[in-house]
Amino acid sequence: MRNSAMKLVALVLCLTLALTVGSFAAAEGEKVLKVHIETEVQSLDPQVATDGTSFEVIADFTDGLYQMDAAGASVPAMAAETTVSDDGLTYTFKIRDDAFWSNGDPVTADDFVYGWQRACDPAFASEYAFMIYDIALIKNSVAVNKGEMPLDELGVKALDEKTLQVQLESPVSYFYSLLYFPTFYPVNRAFVAACGDTYATSPETVLSNGAFILTDYEPAAASFTLTKNPNYYDAARVKLDGLTYQVIKDSQTALLSYQNGDLDTVALSGDQVELVQDDPEFSTVNAGYLWYITVNQIKYPELANVNFRKALAAAYDRDAICNSIIKDGSAPATFAVPANFATGPDGKDFRETAYTFEGFDKASAATFYAAACEELGQKEFNLTLLVEDDATAQNIAAFIQQEWQNTLPGVTVELKVETKKQRVQDIQNGDYNVCLTRWGPDYADPMTYLNMWITNNSNNYGFWSNEEYDAIIKSAISGELALDPVARWQGLKDAEKIVMDNMVILPVYQKNNAMMTKSTVKGIESHPMALNRVYKNTTIE
Amino acid sequence: MTDKEQIAEIIFRPDDFLLKGADETKLDMNFASQRFWKDAYMRFRKNKGAVFSLIMILLVVLLAIFGPLVSNYTYQEQNIAETNMAPRIPLLEDLGIFNGDETLRTSTGSKLKNAYVINKETGEKKDTYYWLGSDALGRDIWTRTWTGTRISLYIAIVAVLIDMLIGMSYGLISGYFGGKVDSVMQRFAEIVNSIPTLVIVTLLMLILKPGLMTITIALMITGWIGMSRIARAQMLKLKEQEFVLASHTLGASNWRVIFSEILPNIIGQLITNTMFSIPNAIFTEAFLSFVGLGIPEPMCSLGSLISYAFKSFTTHPFQIVPPVIVLALLMLCFNMLADGLRDAFDPKMKEM
Amino acid sequence: MRRYIGKRLLISVGTLFVVILLLFTLLQYMPGSPFNDEKLTDDQRAVLYEKYGLDQPIVVQFFKYVYNMLRGDFGVSYTISKNTPISQLLQTRLPISLRIGGQAVLLGAVIGLILGIIAAIWHGTFWDTLSTIISVIGVSVPSYVFALGLAYVFGYELRWLPLLYSNDLPFESSVLPSIALCMFTIASIARFTRSEMLEVLGSDYILLAESKGVYGPRLIVRHVLRNALIPIVTVLAPLIVGLMTGSLVVEKIFSIPGIGSLLVTAIQSNDYNVVIVLSFIYSAMYIGIMLVVDILYGVIDPRIRLSKEAPHD
Repeated sequence: MRNSAMKLVALVLCLTLALTVGSFAAAEGEKVLKVHIETEVQSLDPQVATDGTSFEVIADFTDGLYQMDAAGASVPAMAAETTVSDDGLTYTFKIRDDAFWSNGDPVTADDFVYGWQRACDPAFASEYAFMIYDIALIKNSVAVNKGEMPLDELGVKALDEKTLQVQLESPVSYFYSLLYFPTFYPVNRAFVAACGDTYATSPETVLSNGAFILTDYEPAAASFTLTKNPNYYDAARVKLDGLTYQVIKDSQTALLSYQNGDLDTVALSGDQVELVQDDPEFSTVNAGYLWYITVNQIKYPELANVNFRKALAAAYDRDAICNSIIKDGSAPATFAVPANFATGPDGKDFRETAYTFEGFDKASAATFYAAACEELGQKEFNLTLLVEDDATAQNIAAFIQQEWQNTLPGVTVELKVETKKQRVQDIQNGDYNVCLTRWGPDYADPMTYLNMWITNNSNNYGFWSNEEYDAIIKSAISGELALDPVARWQGLKDAEKIVMDNMVILPVYQKNNAMMTKSTVKGIESHPMALNRVYKNTTIE
Repeated sequence: MTDKEQIAEIIFRPDDFLLKGADETKLDMNFASQRFWKDAYMRFRKNKGAVFSLIMILLVVLLAIFGPLVSNYTYQEQNIAETNMAPRIPLLEDLGIFNGDETLRTSTGSKLKNAYVINKETGEKKDTYYWLGSDALGRDIWTRTWTGTRISLYIAIVAVLIDMLIGMSYGLISGYFGGKVDSVMQRFAEIVNSIPTLVIVTLLMLILKPGLMTITIALMITGWIGMSRIARAQMLKLKEQEFVLASHTLGASNWRVIFSEILPNIIGQLITNTMFSIPNAIFTEAFLSFVGLGIPEPMCSLGSLISYAFKSFTTHPFQIVPPVIVLALLMLCFNMLADGLRDAFDPKMKEM
Repeated sequence: MRRYIGKRLLISVGTLFVVILLLFTLLQYMPGSPFNDEKLTDDQRAVLYEKYGLDQPIVVQFFKYVYNMLRGDFGVSYTISKNTPISQLLQTRLPISLRIGGQAVLLGAVIGLILGIIAAIWHGTFWDTLSTIISVIGVSVPSYVFALGLAYVFGYELRWLPLLYSNDLPFESSVLPSIALCMFTIASIARFTRSEMLEVLGSDYILLAESKGVYGPRLIVRHVLRNALIPIVTVLAPLIVGLMTGSLVVEKIFSIPGIGSLLVTAIQSNDYNVVIVLSFIYSAMYIGIMLVVDILYGVIDPRIRLSKEAPHD
């Protein structure tokens, strides 16, 4: 008894000591950026990770073939030289000669082959496998992912140590923008084999080929550090000596810490914006997410009525939601594809030339509602609005509940709260009525949204189906439209218009993030997708 | 001098021996002729703190019933144009308090703001009054506080009932019978209790869908254990005592011994503990609100109101004040009342 | 005595077994699964289910799990930190929670006892009321309000103590969390001590002790407190377990890498293994502490003889 108690005490002491020593890695006077994140890192394995925070951290210490520049465009990183065949189906990448892993191994073509094979491997069940077979359209990827072909049939080959060849099923206009996505990152085969199950769970079990090296980390850590990678091929560009991440889930504590000087950059929420909006350190960035209400058309006849859906969509004040509830600069959404993430062949943002529906209008809501009542022969409707256990989402839901009930007499709305996992299960199975949900873009093309509403897509929560729409999307992925970027772009606009004309989803707002950054810190690059923040060009004065 | 002479010199006076701790009133009372409850009532009335608490609780109950009716708002009515309004009360505003002024402590310095002002030059104000301010959706905090008090009082009553009906009986029976019965009953209690309450409550909320009914069920499953353990411990202390033995000898049934002989002796402790079940229950509910699984909007409880206002704690601190004060007042009064009841019910107190 | 403890240990193991079985069953009824993410297809979900053995009957899963547990393998986390062995997840978190909880228990018990004793000795006076108010205020305000208030005043305005938990300053940065945590303990202990002490003070043997000339601290400590302690320990024991296993609220506000927030996140994200392991730790601690309490009963109160009958079985 006493012995084991002593052991426990000793263990606790040792751990405390080890941690204390470990955290002193970043000495005073060095330019270490202190970053706030709101959730813990879920995984450091590029083919396992699925959330923005994990992606951001992985990208700190890993480079793909390409990387994001300040404007979000795709520029070469590990790829020294890229050649594309005339038919756009074969890409050949030369990997940089000065690219090394942190254990001294050179970065090879096989590292990419292995990483991409992992992502597509059915046994590995990577959540982002669809990026390989559905988005990147790598040759044979569908069959490989179904287990019908062996892994080495995947259209990714190492021609020699430094030459990678990628074959596609059909031309992919946004292919370069996929190459900075973590699912497409290289993984060192021998190193993973040596680590086994412990791969990517500690600084010792990850390799870095990027700007920083993980120095102090444990799974789901509340804080961890990275230091500059001296052997990074572009090390001269990296001005920071390191990064310290601090997880703070409570936004009020986070702001206090920022004001105390414990953080260099902090994410804010709702009401806090009022306190800091005049501050020069305050800014908002596009977060990419579209929040919308999905309606179950297969189970509820009234929701299958297009006029009823239009009435619902026109009945709530999006400006009020953005200005009075969310307040972080989020913009009202009257579209299915958000702004500022996808640029077309004309060099313009998709939204600039796309169709937008009229949005909040009580009069037209009443007109649509009257028509719906007539068509359905019904004057009373009961809706159940499903919402996640998140505070802002519940606030918005409570507001929409009131708006619907006030604007559309006869409509009664009940709120139902569920955890995220539960909510996703219910909407995917069609066990819901209406649900407030969100979708973030994965790559810089409207298809990341539009692909959702084709028949039988697992994220087509409304179970809506339209032949014309399916045809356009199919053609844009691998048919005629895929070969002609301009026509494809127009096709996508037409497709979006079909979604809005049918009011397949009821858009609510496009999310912005409010944040504060110390005035001495410059050059944190923010992006609405893939890598939310990049620190390669960040400086501290 | 001899010993005898010494003794003879001692003269006894009337005040040589006094009853310890006795004052006149208590001596003069004839307790034997009074019934237990009447007796308790007499003693309770003497306790000023307890009587005051009882009055305050009644006042809160009255406000919970009538408070929402006297305002111009309903608890769910949102006014999105009037969010986060500071408290403003007619008459009092002329004194310079509760006039809708709010000092925002922004990062660039303090800023005095009055959201009621519609014309900055003349200082003209809207003709609206949120007595205790409005929340982030423009709902009246006065109305919501008293509506929330209703739910919290309901939860308090549920907690007391669970304690009294389930917890107390369980503990007393288990402790009294001992042996096999006790062993089985304690095993069961131990199993229920050794699963973290949070896990049970949260799982239930997820399985049965959040709502008042689910909260009640969750409280029923977890709320009784604390009380049962105390009741049992008290029972173990008392059951071997002489008066119990005497009752047995006189032929009293087990149930009579438990509930008529032993219970009055320990009711004081049990009531004190019941008062702890109330905050426990209310905070279990508040915790659920904190993680987003409490009473669904737009219904509210004091707990969910506090969780809600908590998000604006550093921005609009006035929002959290009313529910916290009502809750604190209720807690304090319940505790003082418990003290009073304890003293009143404790039959041994009369010996002091 | 030894035979009694042996028997109790055996029963405890059985109880733990039942607890895990119950948890398994409860989790089975929980809606959603760890793999209900927007971007996972049904096929992938099936693969993941198979990979982690979640497609097997609950009984098989249960025995497999218990078998692995006995070998020291607690499984991996599904969502919080994907594929990370839970033992690795806990190795730094558990000591932090235990330490902060321990500090809170100590602080809470000491302050609670003092307040309770004051209230009982000067029963019915101003001090009694004051002690009641001080102890009750602590439980009247939800812990998150109290915690943020502490953080605001001492961590931000005055800057006496660190706002966030940090491994560099393990003690300083755990002071505020410990204070925020101990409020409920203070109140419980103070109220209960008061009530118990009054009970004891009114009993015949104290009267006897007093008339024999035992007064002051000696009377309070040796006679009153000793007898009042039994029920107090009964109340304190489960509080200890509750505090040592962390608190979501306090951990969230002070950004402490403990196990309280882990448990709630695990429930909300269907991270089954984490829920089971953390509940298991809680149960084991609870049952263990209850065992200790029973033994303490014998030490504190010789009237209850362990050999005769298990007082707190």
